[in-house]
Amino acid sequence: MAKESKPAPAPPPWPAVPIPTPEQVYAGVSEQAKEYNLFLESILRQEKNFDKPENLDGLRVLDCTTSMTIGHWCSSQLAELGAETIQVEPPGGDPLRKLVPFGRQEYMFKDTVVGEEVGPHFLHEMRNKQSVTLNLEKPEGREVLKQLAVHADVLIENAPPGQWDRWGIGYRQLSQINPRLVYCWVGQRGQWGPLRDKRGMLDPIAQASCGFIHGTGTPREMGGSPTRSAMWVADHVGGTAAAIGILAAVLHRDGVSGKGQFVEAAGAEGIMRILDYNWAWYGMDGSIRPRYGNWDLAINIYAVNPCKDGYMMVGGGHDRLWYRIWRTVGKDRPDVEQDIVSDPKLREVTERLGHEAQVKTYTMLCEWMKDTTRGEAEKALLAEEVASGGVTYIDEVAEYPHFKYRGHVAVHNDQLYGDLLYGTTPFLQYRCPGRLKWMGRPVGFDNEDVYMRLLGLRRPDLDRLGKAGVI
Amino acid sequence: MAERGKERKPAPGRAAGKAPGDGARGNGARDDFETYCRDAFNPAKAFSKPEVLKGFRVLSCTQYILGPSCASYLGELGAEVIKIELPKRGEPMRHTTPYNEPFLYPLSKQIPERGTGLGFYGANFNEYFLSLDFHKPEAKGIMQKLAAKADVMVENYRPGTFDRWGIGYRQLSEMNPRLVYAWLGGFGGWGPGRFRASYDILGQAQGGAFGMTGIPQEFGGTPAKHTIWLADYWGGMMVALQILAALRYRDQVSGRGTMIEYSQVHGVTRQLEYALPLYGRYGVVRQRWGNWDTQLCVHGVIKCGKSSYPGSKNPQEAEEGYIVISAYTDEDFAKLCQAAGLQSLAGKFKTHAERVKAESQVEIYQALEQWAKDKTKEDVARILDGAGINTQPVWNAKEVSEHPHWRERGSLQWIDDPYYGDVFAQGPAYHLSETPPRLKWTMRPVGADTEFVLGKLLGMSRQQIRTLEAAEVI
Amino acid sequence: MASWSLVLICEKCQSKNFLDPYAFWNFKGRTKCAGCDQIYEIALANGQAVQPPRMSAGTVDLLPGFAESKDYKPLSGPGKTRPGPKPREDLLCKPKPIRQSIRGKPVSGRPLKPEELVGSRARFIVEATPRS
Repeated sequence: MAKESKPAPAPPPWPAVPIPTPEQVYAGVSEQAKEYNLFLESILRQEKNFDKPENLDGLRVLDCTTSMTIGHWCSSQLAELGAETIQVEPPGGDPLRKLVPFGRQEYMFKDTVVGEEVGPHFLHEMRNKQSVTLNLEKPEGREVLKQLAVHADVLIENAPPGQWDRWGIGYRQLSQINPRLVYCWVGQRGQWGPLRDKRGMLDPIAQASCGFIHGTGTPREMGGSPTRSAMWVADHVGGTAAAIGILAAVLHRDGVSGKGQFVEAAGAEGIMRILDYNWAWYGMDGSIRPRYGNWDLAINIYAVNPCKDGYMMVGGGHDRLWYRIWRTVGKDRPDVEQDIVSDPKLREVTERLGHEAQVKTYTMLCEWMKDTTRGEAEKALLAEEVASGGVTYIDEVAEYPHFKYRGHVAVHNDQLYGDLLYGTTPFLQYRCPGRLKWMGRPVGFDNEDVYMRLLGLRRPDLDRLGKAGVI
Repeated sequence: MAERGKERKPAPGRAAGKAPGDGARGNGARDDFETYCRDAFNPAKAFSKPEVLKGFRVLSCTQYILGPSCASYLGELGAEVIKIELPKRGEPMRHTTPYNEPFLYPLSKQIPERGTGLGFYGANFNEYFLSLDFHKPEAKGIMQKLAAKADVMVENYRPGTFDRWGIGYRQLSEMNPRLVYAWLGGFGGWGPGRFRASYDILGQAQGGAFGMTGIPQEFGGTPAKHTIWLADYWGGMMVALQILAALRYRDQVSGRGTMIEYSQVHGVTRQLEYALPLYGRYGVVRQRWGNWDTQLCVHGVIKCGKSSYPGSKNPQEAEEGYIVISAYTDEDFAKLCQAAGLQSLAGKFKTHAERVKAESQVEIYQALEQWAKDKTKEDVARILDGAGINTQPVWNAKEVSEHPHWRERGSLQWIDDPYYGDVFAQGPAYHLSETPPRLKWTMRPVGADTEFVLGKLLGMSRQQIRTLEAAEVI
Repeated sequence: MASWSLVLICEKCQSKNFLDPYAFWNFKGRTKCAGCDQIYEIALANGQAVQPPRMSAGTVDLLPGFAESKDYKPLSGPGKTRPGPKPREDLLCKPKPIRQSIRGKPVSGRPLKPEELVGSRARFIVEATPRS
């Protein structure tokens, strides 16, 4: 495979445009007007993260999930908040490590110590974690896991339902070894029930089974089809839900019971919890929520539509914003504003929600936007305090001044992987902010540290386990 | 430090309750795992188990979805959540509902002829509703007294507004140093974009998720919005998670609260997967890839030519079916080709490296759609499930609602809502065996609990409440 | 690249036909004025009109999403405009009074009069609640 690789292109400079300075950002703003903003900066800027303690310091997490993002996402959040997180991988590594868009090997990432390749998807969710290898297919590997579980506060796994129980390392068995253990299973549709997961089920299964895909994309009446998220979004939502469940269990253990418990989170249920009004509407009169593309069934104006140089979001659900939007449009196109404000059908907020009203609204809005760029439209609408913004692509996201200034996007000079552009933790906080320590590890990079430190194994033990294919 | 909790006595009522499945524990039996889980996670038993956030009080001064949903997740865990909104008409989300059709009545006792739209539903579970006009001078004193008794405060007014009103983090944390104060919004209160307002869809657009999702332009498509108010509802989850972490630190270590600032565009940018490292290292801008997967093949959605409900008058059921097919390993791909009679593909794309190339994906998915042209999604599922391939039909809201799996798990449930009667609702997003989160009620009219809250926490008399009502403070 | 209007104002009857961008995304063909049935040829690429509408003849390929007369009277309906996505066949697009859930139990889904309230609740909900 490596022989076929084309040479990787040279990296683009980042930032291409310098990060704005505070002097630029607050130029011309009075002391009084910027006082609160500067207060926030003083308590929230990410440069100060390492001067502060961590919310989850002292909590040890074993992430034993493979092949799927839900567990990795979950443990990433805990790791960003300070948990000591150990990624337990099968020998050879999690299969996700090998994934790269379209199989393009030239886009792999290599560490400087082992020189091992890893795909950027896995790497981005390996943050702050250590890597150990352990073969749970072998009985001896399971014995090692039992010993690790003694030292863990949290364990996450995503094996096919019941697999670990049959192996003698499920919740029922490990909770006897370590009654304080919070044990979490994650997956797509669940580990019990008629649709319990089957081996190999991955994210879009969850997206399809909960109604998300059916509801996303251009409507059939406009020539469209159901559409999945580009991201493994059910893993992100379900993984976040799993992390909430885990922390709730930890709170209860430490504050009340002294005991751990069994946690379960499925990507599909994560999305179902947040699928707006789908279930209530169905329960009232059998309505099946249709797709509505880049418009919104419940709010007008609240949509993305084409503009001169791409796609533009404009939003304003109530009257005050409605007239501000059309006033903005009217500066360039008085005829459009005149038509809209004269239309008796569009006077009442709720009457603008019918489909025909939405067709007229957005077609008229396009009259203005077709000759207006994203930047021009955003500037004009912002002057009227209307929420708006363009659909931005990754290169634009990376360069967006606000993101660079606040560090939403940043370059991390990693000890193993060099300079990496990444999405930073959104856990900004005064006392104990989330943070990035390192981005990732090669397979089994921390075997010595973890097994020696926690289990007291010595080099000959590790050699023997390695030769036996256990680690 | 982690040992600290050990010495504490169990909460009252807790000692008596036997943990579910205790009897089965430790026997390692092989066949009863399903039974064990059904018992451990039985939604019908949720109310016989204790709650994690019992005794925690949350004030929610929030509108739309991002802030409200955050407080609601804490309410599912047992916190006493008090939602504070403008009198009579409440917050804007109560006035949003799909196609202006479904509402639940009354909106408030003052306006019974109008209802609360379903846009509000799902973001305000298990809450008490206090009405309060922040613009009235009396509001400040009431807010300060409430915050003195709160563990968490969630708000999403424009940055600095509460500070100006004397009820922001700086003032409230002085009165109550244990307060965890969370501000949630679009761009955050500092930096060049600090003036920008945001909504979910803007978060998706500006954060980068929108531009990556949808059918590619080459196939006639457009960037696509995630149907749900994803950046809002999921952003609220991220903050609920962070609040739990902050409460742990407060109660285990510091005794002090903190301030959280969550930017929803920041949240979206965090979840772009490989997009940022790939761009940063190689200059490649991640593009849309529609219903397929950029990293695995076969692992995508295909169209089936026939509707599953040819006789239905509902346009949603008249639509052709779609299905996720997942057969990315060599073994599964061979089985798939065999089952679909596409053996030539199996010979042509023997390895995953060959299958996952863009051109190969186009060829493979088009061949599969051709095969599925005369089939419903259930036909395809039956054939491929029989061959041992993972599939999942793209289900609509009715198909999901009617499936026993979600009912048995409590992910969807009918509840007897004390205010609105027989309503259908989503259960919590995760399960806990000993302290399950739970749905108690869905929402309530504006100000439904004003007297209860002001009586309980501020000791207000009937006369005082009438005076405030007359002055339109509450 | 010049972009033309997505509001087709009929040269014959002055009706406004709204060529909503997503439905006509990459459309090239014939549409029809909802006011007078005049056929027009139009062409769009990625949601932008790439040529002005031209009067034409023949059969219609795609109807406008909505149309109205010069004085804002809707001209929509079967054969004139294209219906939008519907959750049910009998979509109303206005508040729909609902008395029972789909499984036939009382739900507070209709406007109430002040005398129907007990506190902030509908009386029929309060009274239907079994008391123990």
